[in-house]
Amino acid sequence: MTGVAVGAPRRTAALTARTGTAARWLAACTAALVIFSAFILANDVDPLSVLGTIWTSVLTEPRQVEQILVRATPFALAALAVVVPGRAGLVNVGGEGQVIVGAVAAAGAGMWVGADAAPAVAVTVMVLAAVVAGGAWAGIAAALRLVGDVNEAVTTVLLNFVALYLMLFLILGSWRDDAAMGQATSPEIGPGAKLPLLGTSGVHVGIVVAVIAALVIWFAFTRTTWGFRLTVVGGNPEAARRAGLPVTVLLLSALVLGGVLAGLAGYVHLAGAEYKLRPTFGANIGYIGFLASWLARHRPLAVLVSAAAVAAIAITGNTLQISAGLPAASVNILMGLVLVAVLGWTSVRKADA
Amino acid sequence: MTAPSHRRPPSRIGAPPALLDVVGFTKSFGDVHANTDVDLSVQRGEVHALAGENGAGKSTLLKMIFGVYEPDAGRMFVDGQPVTPGNPAHARALGIGMVFQDLRLVPALTVAENVALSLRTGFRLRMDGLVRRIEEASRSYGLDVDPRAQVRTLSIGERQRVEILKTLMAGARLVILDEPTSVLAPQEVQSLFEVVERLKAEGLGVVIVTHKLNEVRAIADRMTILRRGEVVLNAVAPADYTDGALIEAMVGRAVAPLPRQRRPVDPAGRTLLALSDVRTDGDRGYEALKGIDLDVRAGELVGIAGVAGSGQRELFEVVLGLRPLTSGHVEVRDVDGVPARPRVAAAIPEDPVADSVVPGLSVLQHMVLDGREVPRKGVGVDWAEVGRRTAEADAKVGLDIAAPRRTLSGLSGGNIQRVVLTRELSTFSPVVVAAYPSRGLDIANARRTQEVLLEQRAAGAAVLMVSEDLEELISMADRIVVMHDGHVAGVVAAADADRMALGRLMLGGAA
Ligand SMILES: Nc1ncnc2c1ncn2[C@@H]1O[C@H](COP(=O)(O)OP(=O)(O)O)[C@@H](O)[C@H]1O
Ligand SMILES: [Mg+2]
Repeated sequence: MTGVAVGAPRRTAALTARTGTAARWLAACTAALVIFSAFILANDVDPLSVLGTIWTSVLTEPRQVEQILVRATPFALAALAVVVPGRAGLVNVGGEGQVIVGAVAAAGAGMWVGADAAPAVAVTVMVLAAVVAGGAWAGIAAALRLVGDVNEAVTTVLLNFVALYLMLFLILGSWRDDAAMGQATSPEIGPGAKLPLLGTSGVHVGIVVAVIAALVIWFAFTRTTWGFRLTVVGGNPEAARRAGLPVTVLLLSALVLGGVLAGLAGYVHLAGAEYKLRPTFGANIGYIGFLASWLARHRPLAVLVSAAAVAAIAITGNTLQISAGLPAASVNILMGLVLVAVLGWTSVRKADA
Repeated sequence: MTAPSHRRPPSRIGAPPALLDVVGFTKSFGDVHANTDVDLSVQRGEVHALAGENGAGKSTLLKMIFGVYEPDAGRMFVDGQPVTPGNPAHARALGIGMVFQDLRLVPALTVAENVALSLRTGFRLRMDGLVRRIEEASRSYGLDVDPRAQVRTLSIGERQRVEILKTLMAGARLVILDEPTSVLAPQEVQSLFEVVERLKAEGLGVVIVTHKLNEVRAIADRMTILRRGEVVLNAVAPADYTDGALIEAMVGRAVAPLPRQRRPVDPAGRTLLALSDVRTDGDRGYEALKGIDLDVRAGELVGIAGVAGSGQRELFEVVLGLRPLTSGHVEVRDVDGVPARPRVAAAIPEDPVADSVVPGLSVLQHMVLDGREVPRKGVGVDWAEVGRRTAEADAKVGLDIAAPRRTLSGLSGGNIQRVVLTRELSTFSPVVVAAYPSRGLDIANARRTQEVLLEQRAAGAAVLMVSEDLEELISMADRIVVMHDGHVAGVVAAADADRMALGRLMLGGAA
């Protein structure tokens, strides 16, 4: 039973496991596309032409690809906000609220420094405000879990509503922009506070922030003592307790860091894409991030791919509506199918083992 | 050993066919050859012991007979007729009943309701009739089971009798008992054996798994020993073999007995572990420890005996500081007598899989989960250094742990136990608390574990050890503390401990 011949055969085993997973992914996505095609057929539209349209006018169209990347940026950060607590065995469904609170804090900080503040000052103050607010918002749920043993999956969802109404309260009230002709929006952030674009593209630098965040978290998970301990707490809290690990501190840090990342997502979306708060600001970013994290099986680097994938599906929705006359919600069907297929298919591995 | 060339039941001319004949059963799980060409024959009115070390393939063989697993090769005959059980329901219809190692009753239901679950009942559940039938059956086999009692309130021994009753009411003529005694106090073993004798007298066949030789000698007519999935002794009379020969057949080599000679406890030695009037609540709110007083000195090994659930788990947790006290004191001291920093104690948990194993992490990663200082490199763990220390620990403890890169959760219980033992016992700790240290280990590794614990004692540690094996306690401990229902029911010097007296204390009687 002991360590004979672990070298070569193990490596090939790992390799086949990996290609097996990739094949399952592919199969799952294909299955989702097939079912989706059946749905399109039922609407009297030719599925091949629709898929062709998706290919030519979305996936190979540079401007649309830029759109996808811009959309993917907050998704990726919001997904990381699920990945980090998930590592500790916590379920953060509060990305939605943490994103909004982060953006609200950033917008408030932007107003506080003024529209003509120097870019460095505006960016620093807004980022700080966003991460502190997101972290604190998640911290409320963490505190309730640790003190009152209230499940964080419930409190984080409830706090989403509080965050939304907090934002509405502000933009319908004291933050309302008088220049917006009756619309409930906050004033646009100053020009120095807007995130610059990458070169001549339409993609703002937020994507770099998301990639760096994913890399940092990957490093923290795999190379630091904190990440190792977080894995232990998430894998078996009793083992962590018996090993004398600071379980409370670890849980708190994981959930708060999740909130920080979601707050950052809110900031990036505000300063890179929307520039002002509207009643629908940030809608679904948290929930889609949650899906993206599950699609990536809570792995930080894979989150970058899954966020891009869900962003592509979301962008496709507009095209479908315009070119094929399908309802815009059709794309939600595709998103749901992909999610269920991928989750179902890739967890077969556990059952075999 | 005879190579079974024939593929028919090996019946003697003129003799009636055996109740059960298994010929050439073979089963692999991936690379593991759990059974290779195994034969087993059970007569009516025979008690057949099946022995072998952990992982020898006993449960696999029995599960194939009961139709849980399908054999890769081999045939099976009941009353000389070829059969293929295929599934447990069919096996039951063939007159085969099995009591699994882990009992499978529903605690919230009554005995009668549990029996009803396993019987074919019509649309309407007629409980009164069933209760009467259970009472009859229980009387006729001397099982002493109350059909109206809730299973939750029954002891393990009583639950086992319910399981046996279930198989009998389903019409079993062959009753298979997989390691029934490992969870019982000696008195309960005795009453189980009385039931087995009764079944035998009724002409039923019984297959009983145990690796305790005194039990084999007490109950079995014939015995079969498996080693690494192969039959090494086939249907022999235990009386024809010495203990040494049987152990050698199971292990594959001779195992020296534990040395009896050891340095006596220094009566002036420092007390390293002191509990006074310790009370605490269990997980379900009732009081689990009801005023425990206990001292363990440097260089002393104190054994804890008791029926499972008498407070052993809670006792360990309060010693390790994992469970708050409702009153009293626990003091854990370092060798120099100063109150200890946290985690000066080494701990072998009661349930290593639930308490120590983190899914997905490797053996190496588990080696630093002992609460002691972890070698650091920058912001991370110095895994190369952990690897060196692990190799050193493995060489020192000698339990031959699995490769460091293996995922711990993928290993068998015995291999997990060896990793935990190696981690906890490779360095000296002033206080060692070990729950069932040799559980899940085969004879050779169990012996090595016992030696390592005695080495810790000899080095001056205060060792507190729980075991369900009285022989193990008597051979290792200086004193045996018997727990019953959260109390210390008695303290006995191991040198003059008597198994039956210990058993009476365990069940709450007087010594
Ligand atoms: N379902 C299974 N899947 C894979 N391996 C198994 C399974 N059941 C048993 N084994 C392996 O087969 C061998 C024999 O196990 P088992 O029959 O349970 O032994 P025993 O009951 O004698 O302790 C062991 O190496 C065990 O790990
Ligand atoms: Mg077994």
